[in-house]
Amino acid sequence: MAAVVKLKFSLRTHRTRGGQKQAAFPFYNPDRWIFVNPAAAWFPLLITMTQLIAVTTVTAGSINSQETPAEIQTAAAVDHFQNRVEPVLRANCYQCHSAEAASVQGGLRLDSRPGIHRGGDSGPIVVEGKPEQSLLLQVLRHENGLAMPPDSDRLPPQIIADFERWIKDGAEDPRSVEPDRRPSAEARQHWAFQPVVRPVPPAISNSTGLLNPIDAFITDRLQKQGWSPAPSISRSDWIRRVTFDLTGLPPTPAEIRTFLNDGSATAFETVADRLLENPHYGERQAQHWLDVIRYAETEGYEYDGHLPDAWRFRDYVISSFATDKSFKQFITEQIAGDELDPDNHDLQIASVFHRLGPVRRNAGNPDIALSRNEVLTERTDIIGSAFLALSIGCARCHDHKLEPILQKDYYRFQAYLAATEENTIRLASPEETAKWNTETSQLRAKQTSLRNAAKVATGEEKRLLEKRAEDLETQFPPTLPSIPGIRNDHENRTAIHVLKRGVWENKGDAVGPRPPEILTKDEAPELPADIANPRTRLAEWLVSEQNPLTARVIVNRVWQQHFGHGIVRTSNDFGTRGERPDHPELLDWLTSEFVLGDWKLKPLHRLIVLSSTYRQSHTSPWAADAQTSDPQNRLLWHMPRRRLTAEELRDSMLFVSGRLEVKLGGPSVMPPVDESLVRLLYKPSQWQVSPDTRDHDRRSIYLIAKRNLRLPFLEIFDAPALLTSCDRRDASTHAPQALELLNGTLSNDLARSFADRCRRECGNDQDALIRSAFLHAIGRQPHPKEYEFSVQFLDDQPLEEFALALFNLNEFVYVP
Amino acid sequence: MSRDTVYQYEPMHHHEPEYRPAHRASRRRMLQDACCGFGGLALNTMLASDDVRAEGRASLSPLPAHSQARAKSVIFLFMAGGPSHLETFDPKPLLNRLHGQKRPAEFGEARYQFVETDARLLGSQRRFRKHGQSGTEVSDLFPHTAKCIDDIAVIRSMYGDMVVHSAAQYELFSGRLNPGFPSIGSWVLYGLGSESSSLPAYVVMPDPLGALEAGQPMYMHGFLPATYQPTMFRPGTQPVLNLNLPAGVSISQRQKTLGLIQDLNRAAPDHVQDEFAARISSYDLAFRMQMQAPEALDLSQETRETQELYGATEKPTEDYGRRCLLARRLVERGVRFICVVSGGGPGNMQWDAHQDIEENHLRKAAETDKPVAGLLTDLKRRGLLDDTLVVWGGEFGRSPEAQAGRGRDHHNLGFTMWLAGGGIRGGQVVGATDDIGLRAIEQPCHFRDLHTTILHQLGLDQHQLTYPHLGRNERLTFVEGRVIRELL
Repeated sequence: MAAVVKLKFSLRTHRTRGGQKQAAFPFYNPDRWIFVNPAAAWFPLLITMTQLIAVTTVTAGSINSQETPAEIQTAAAVDHFQNRVEPVLRANCYQCHSAEAASVQGGLRLDSRPGIHRGGDSGPIVVEGKPEQSLLLQVLRHENGLAMPPDSDRLPPQIIADFERWIKDGAEDPRSVEPDRRPSAEARQHWAFQPVVRPVPPAISNSTGLLNPIDAFITDRLQKQGWSPAPSISRSDWIRRVTFDLTGLPPTPAEIRTFLNDGSATAFETVADRLLENPHYGERQAQHWLDVIRYAETEGYEYDGHLPDAWRFRDYVISSFATDKSFKQFITEQIAGDELDPDNHDLQIASVFHRLGPVRRNAGNPDIALSRNEVLTERTDIIGSAFLALSIGCARCHDHKLEPILQKDYYRFQAYLAATEENTIRLASPEETAKWNTETSQLRAKQTSLRNAAKVATGEEKRLLEKRAEDLETQFPPTLPSIPGIRNDHENRTAIHVLKRGVWENKGDAVGPRPPEILTKDEAPELPADIANPRTRLAEWLVSEQNPLTARVIVNRVWQQHFGHGIVRTSNDFGTRGERPDHPELLDWLTSEFVLGDWKLKPLHRLIVLSSTYRQSHTSPWAADAQTSDPQNRLLWHMPRRRLTAEELRDSMLFVSGRLEVKLGGPSVMPPVDESLVRLLYKPSQWQVSPDTRDHDRRSIYLIAKRNLRLPFLEIFDAPALLTSCDRRDASTHAPQALELLNGTLSNDLARSFADRCRRECGNDQDALIRSAFLHAIGRQPHPKEYEFSVQFLDDQPLEEFALALFNLNEFVYVP
Repeated sequence: MSRDTVYQYEPMHHHEPEYRPAHRASRRRMLQDACCGFGGLALNTMLASDDVRAEGRASLSPLPAHSQARAKSVIFLFMAGGPSHLETFDPKPLLNRLHGQKRPAEFGEARYQFVETDARLLGSQRRFRKHGQSGTEVSDLFPHTAKCIDDIAVIRSMYGDMVVHSAAQYELFSGRLNPGFPSIGSWVLYGLGSESSSLPAYVVMPDPLGALEAGQPMYMHGFLPATYQPTMFRPGTQPVLNLNLPAGVSISQRQKTLGLIQDLNRAAPDHVQDEFAARISSYDLAFRMQMQAPEALDLSQETRETQELYGATEKPTEDYGRRCLLARRLVERGVRFICVVSGGGPGNMQWDAHQDIEENHLRKAAETDKPVAGLLTDLKRRGLLDDTLVVWGGEFGRSPEAQAGRGRDHHNLGFTMWLAGGGIRGGQVVGATDDIGLRAIEQPCHFRDLHTTILHQLGLDQHQLTYPHLGRNERLTFVEGRVIRELL
């Protein structure tokens, strides 16, 4: 009776925990159950049977009088394992080779029968019935240079003999189910996984000068250190700071004047509100997001193929920020726009998000499974970094020490994307398409015949034919309007397995979609692998209240835009290896404001730029002390200096010289670049300089983001490589930057335009000219000494060189 | 015995250093920045203490190595497209005997990019002969290199993970199969800084014939700061962008403009603050580079004899010869890492001999053999070979099977690279492939082992050379590599 109960219990346990569906128990044949080939799926259940006998043997001696000698022998072997082997494994090996291990070593698990039989990276460790061929025994005996447990003496001979007997008797092992590894208790306590709790801003005794709760949080910490916030910067510095931060451009002299003359109590608010409604705000904010999601318009690798009309996604991002779309909706549209409404082109454009990673296309023999695995990896990892600030990609190959995301979690996360496939949506009419097809195929045919002729030709003739074929590349009609979108293809859905070492051939358990365990309550079940609209489910979870990360992560990114560092300095890594927040209460307070305000970003920016914290100067009366005790400025005792990003620098030179073409949106621009760089493209014809030269003067966000050819000017000032997520721009300082700004084509060309502009505005009035040039370039009048240097220089040097010098000033390149 | 030995693939985690975020804006770094550029100033001794390396290091001022260095500089002779081991340094008599037959089953399986499973083996038409005191076999493709063979250690057992160009090239340069990770040149710069005060520290000289499959990202600094980016030399007399003044601007005029910039910058009250002080120094350095670099890049200062040694005065060696000679001039002036690329543009203009291995390799060898030998000879006679590590090879080798009758496909399971100088024991062969050159079977060496060895010769440790990126301390060798001790 007891046996029957045990059996039922075990089976149920197995089915729920293993997650496998077994309709019947085909192996169960009471006449010959003992040892069938231990092939995969049945195998745990078989052990249950063994276990059952063990129970019967132990509890009742011989309830079943039909037991054969073989059965009795097996039962004894199990008994031996449980009494003599398992305790040794537990005491000596589990620390590194079980679900409880901080990090499973060598891929080997000893806490279940399946684990032992699978073995580790060195292959199987037990050959049933053959102790001499079993790696496990060699290791215990310290043979062949192998030794376990590590760094200690051999286990006593009696124990080794017990293992030998156990293997000899068939390595019986009743532990049928491999326990899932679970996030450690330590990881569960990690700050980032705790719910957002809205704290009460601290009370500050002397609250003079505090403008909003942000200042209370910051001042409170400073006061505890015996410090106070740094003094406020001047109004002209503030408007320059806030204009750059919100729009990526400097303020105009007129804007500065208006602000300086505005004596009202709401002068600062007026500027902030004006900037938040400025269309350039959307462009500036979009660049931050495009960095994070490593946006590019080409696929990288050998072909670096251009995604047709990827710029539509860039415009979607700009307009989402400009209209202050709820960030919740923004996330949902990117993750699952195509599922929300397949007929809505705007939503289809949003989900181009999934197409933006590098893609390796393969000529020759297809390697479909490998390529698919690469694509899924790329698409999964970016969601982890961008939305959750978790490097879930680290869990792709194996479980990591202290990491909260387990390997199984990783593949469950990937399972949301299993059905996602490319889907290019044509926007052209059938007539346009037909015309395009005809033109293209004619040109293609012409090109092919030239290439065929080149194959048989030699010498100069061959070269000429090849060149003519190559030149035809430029004559193809522009690609028709389309959306490089995605869709679900459930019929061809990729079966997602846990992959050992991340290698697609090493398939482990099949998994369905589920959020990472550390962020779910209890043991939330996996969704069925073929669930409809899987990415909608993912998006729902990403923005749900159960997930404390998503909102914190974007709030932290916004903070970083204004203060150089996030409250969490590793803004793409909120995991256990990332940094802790410097002001945890402030982060949670801002996050709760953000969430209560329907995930809108403009109010958040407004709050920050109108704080007194944001008005702090670079220098503080406490600097001497603070430089020593807080050199990294974690308490924000002063405002850190921010160098303009590469794009801001280029855009500012265009703006100041009066050349900036302020057109919004549309296809990306290819400006002229050094020919030697174009020749480094595998297909130089991919770089077609945009014919309208006015387009070359558009803001940098509208220049094409091509992975295999990045503009040297942008690259040299730390623009990201467009290949992995960039969570924060570097600001390196090196001589090639000086050479670029001194000798580069762009700066010299724009310096000429800047000089022309000054002449246009001031004629020959040298005094006005100097003052105006300073005001345009760095937002203030020259100091007497600066004025003097300028006059002396212009005495015998051209205005163009003076203009160039202003582009090179520290104050031009740094935000005040 | 530790558990590392038992489970061979695991050790990386044991050695993974603690996660230590870079302190990107430290005062010390800003000071270091002041003396960097694409050539760092002489070492500021105040900064030479151990904790320099711990502080994010966005500088090019020279840094102490982790251990005793054998080499100061690296010249990588990159034979792009994948030169055949079977036609160059790895003779296979059995392959010739099996010419036209299918690969015997006992050699196992291989995956190719183009060749199908029914392909036939292709014997080599090259003649091999023992050379030098070491008696290392070299084919008749390389009569000049053969004369230097006693300085060369040939690795016949290289292998990589990918059989397509782009991914294999990324692996060769960055240890990763996908773009976006720093190349070995950038890592070395990050680890050691520069010893040149007027030249770029990491230089790539692409083949003017055109591009390679992996494109520019293969050489780049990935997520490291832009300080560590390579300088791509352009063909012609002005290889470095922006080093020359714009047309119509005289040096004296530009000097005055620079004077105004520095005067105005110094007039600002906070010019002594770290960031600003660093920028001011970078302008001083930029000007110095502008004055001094052209001399370094001027090949006409070399004697006729030296130019001829490299084949720099005649076709078809002229182009590669000039670039090899320039590489030597750069090494002399402390440039850290130089990549001289042979091959570019369409496959057949690289070593990518799909159509006709004979035609392709005879041509490519004729372009490069004399320059390569000239470089080794010249480095040696000037005493530079001892601390210059020269590496020769491509992203993979070529298939024992024929493609299109006379060509060979890509092949990553076993191929040849060689090293010379920089503490390498020349005149030896390391490792072996099987009897048809399909698979590395003795002392197999992965790219990560090559990377580890190059770092080691430079005095750098693969585990200490890390940079935090997206929650991980990234390093060049993603999976731990081994120093190929046999080479030393």
